[in-house]
Amino acid sequence: MKRCTILLVSMALTALVACSGPRPVAEPEATSSGSVSPTSGGRLVYGLSADAAGFNPVTDQFASQSYSMVSTMVEPLVSVGADGVWKPYLAQSLKPNQNADEWTITVRSGITFSDGTPLTGEVVKANLEAQKASPLTSSVFGPVESFELAGPSAVKVKLRQPWVAFPYYLATQIGMIVASASLADPKAASRTPIGTGAFTLKQYVPDSRMVVTRNANYWRKGLPYLDEIEFRILPDSQTRAQTLESGGVDAIATTRDEDVVKFGALKDTYTVHRARGMAVPEYMFMLNTAVAPLDDVRVRRALAYATDRKAVIATLRSGLTEEADGPWSKDSPWYAPGGDYPGYDLAKATSLVKEVEAEKGPISFELLSTPDPNTMQGVELAQDMWRKAGIDVTIKQADQADLINRAVLGNYKATVWTQFSAADPDGEYIWLHQSYAQPVGSVALNFSRIKDAQLSSALDSGRSNPQPDVRKKDYATVQQRLRELVPFVFIDHLNVGAVIATGKVRGIGETVLPDGDKALPLTGSPVPYHPFSQIWVSQR
Amino acid sequence: MILHRLVRLAVVLLVVTFLSYVLLNLLPGDPTTQILGLSATEEARAQLRQELGLDQPLLIRYAAWLGDLLTGDFGTSYITRLPVAEELAERLPVTLELLVVAQAVALGLAIPVGVAAARRAGRALDQVLTAVSFALLSTPVFVLGVLLILVFAVTWRLLPATGWTPLSVDVGWNLTSVLLPAVTLGCGQLAVYARLLRTDLIATLQEDYITLARARGLSPRRILWRHALRPSAISLVTAVGLNLGALIGGTVIIETLFGLPGVGRLIVDSIFSRDYLTVQGSVVLISVGYVLVNFAVDLVYAAVDPRIRRA
Repeated sequence: MKRCTILLVSMALTALVACSGPRPVAEPEATSSGSVSPTSGGRLVYGLSADAAGFNPVTDQFASQSYSMVSTMVEPLVSVGADGVWKPYLAQSLKPNQNADEWTITVRSGITFSDGTPLTGEVVKANLEAQKASPLTSSVFGPVESFELAGPSAVKVKLRQPWVAFPYYLATQIGMIVASASLADPKAASRTPIGTGAFTLKQYVPDSRMVVTRNANYWRKGLPYLDEIEFRILPDSQTRAQTLESGGVDAIATTRDEDVVKFGALKDTYTVHRARGMAVPEYMFMLNTAVAPLDDVRVRRALAYATDRKAVIATLRSGLTEEADGPWSKDSPWYAPGGDYPGYDLAKATSLVKEVEAEKGPISFELLSTPDPNTMQGVELAQDMWRKAGIDVTIKQADQADLINRAVLGNYKATVWTQFSAADPDGEYIWLHQSYAQPVGSVALNFSRIKDAQLSSALDSGRSNPQPDVRKKDYATVQQRLRELVPFVFIDHLNVGAVIATGKVRGIGETVLPDGDKALPLTGSPVPYHPFSQIWVSQR
Repeated sequence: MILHRLVRLAVVLLVVTFLSYVLLNLLPGDPTTQILGLSATEEARAQLRQELGLDQPLLIRYAAWLGDLLTGDFGTSYITRLPVAEELAERLPVTLELLVVAQAVALGLAIPVGVAAARRAGRALDQVLTAVSFALLSTPVFVLGVLLILVFAVTWRLLPATGWTPLSVDVGWNLTSVLLPAVTLGCGQLAVYARLLRTDLIATLQEDYITLARARGLSPRRILWRHALRPSAISLVTAVGLNLGALIGGTVIIETLFGLPGVGRLIVDSIFSRDYLTVQGSVVLISVGYVLVNFAVDLVYAAVDPRIRRA
């Protein structure tokens, strides 16, 4: 009887599926198989953790999933190469004057938006002006004085100060160019942006799916390879991985180390792609240096000495990541080695704590954490380690919105934090420079409120000096000062964010830029993203 | 009677919306940070706060929102800048379908299970069904959901693990996409309904008129289904109405787990992004739905038990 019931239920389900015909916008179409060279056609279903808040680069805040979705339709002026150096994308060239306080952007000819209008210097100027006026991005444009048309395809950017890393910013949301029609109707552009991208929007169901289809008039000949991409929004990480296993999606973005370990072991069936170098963010405890007891550098150093980063990595990341001693990972060209970071040494931590306690009394503070179990586990681990050194820490849970707001206003003592994944070190300028540190209660982008003349001077020099070796020295100084002043107790370079795909999905991280250079394989945090125009599917 | 109920609905709405408005505004965190991001300046935040009316006192904001609501304007989402009514209209069919199918699954299974258990009360089948009911009651929906996905999607590949196909696009795929979430959501209710029905049926089967029916030689099956089931269903019908709240709460988890674009997901996302007006709109929708369903339940009583109609 029981077996019969199971059989009946199974038959009914099979019949239901069989009678339903092919799943609409879900099944990959046939592609040529067995070939190593890319083949055109086919469909990719890609699982993301969250929907974009909107697709308009001027008015909507972009998270990593936004970049995955929007970059199929809207492209940037600049991209970052595999060597970590900026390369022109929609731009033909970006040329600075001798002082680097004026840049001329010249766009490629023959590029049209999906509405048929051409990409011109005027459109680029209008985009950049809209970005400068946007409350989302205006702070980044602080050094920009004006934009001037310098010909039908060229825009001159006049700066108040030399800014050698300016092109890197154009590889982000700021440099993504939409058509005049999208600038004129930003609300419509939030749902249907008009860009120059390899795909155009076919269907969008908020919090469910976005389907983009091949742009037949794409300016890069022979691209894209895929006919269609469906981005499926699957917020739960476990069921997202299960959907990949069940064949419901072809690729997923994840931040779970379990997924990296599990799918990484199945090399014949899946490929796992992780970000490297500057693209990797750092996981840390951010300390508010403007409030007691963390305004005392000895306390901050004691915390770093008491933190066993190896233990945290083993517990939280299945040992997958590498210890961090600064904002840039060891495989980045900007990393400066330094044995001066206060690594795990409980005796030193205890000694510093005793020294401070003798002067100021017992050390205690509140540590903020988001309530998710993995983060809480890390926070409790730190609490235990710091308690062993004699520091009493209480944990307070705050959701993401509350935690960010407290960081911005300085209304915290210490908090878990993830940051520093800009392609160029200058991308961290506004987060570390003392001119962005405001008193507690005022909005400040320098959240740790660290004020250090040497650090800020190095950031200024790195921003303005065109000599690569001088910049390298400047950013070595930045790292050295961060190790000495410890506004952040660094834990690890958080490269467990990964894209996991079935074997038939090819080309992830193998993008070639318009001028023939290889692009940075993956970028962004917490989940890395990548371009889609050169992804293809094989039915090997 | 209807007028009386409408007045009651208005009072319930007023209380619920005011409380939710106050509670939302007590949440720490600033919507402007969510909208503008980390790198926005103080000036930009202040300007946005003014544009959204967030610089006004709470009571004035609530009154303005209520005034707009009375004219059918649910407001505009802070995050998507779309009318809240439009967002709710997009999401409501998903949640409604999920709720209806979950209730259908729960009732469709609970009635035969409850009847079978009552008929064989105290015997092996009853004990097995009781154990299964308690197991279902004590299993959190997210655990059950993951298990069902593992079996039906990953191992057997019979149903999609996640995702949603609207009814208007393809009926078959819509049913396959709603089945696992609905079963997951309905299982907890199934156990409650089955237990309630079993208990009431056992009591009914001891009534004099049932003894009389037996004496008249009616078959046990006929007695059970024709004469005992209807009067035993009053508690069940009440539970169906009252449990709507629990089911709506469950949709928040189920929609996240299975990636369904329903009202539950919208509420969660809106709370995290401090999108006050979207949460308020959802609260109105759910409150009205809840009160109306329970009103309908009152009407069903009369149909189920003629004694109530006569009274």
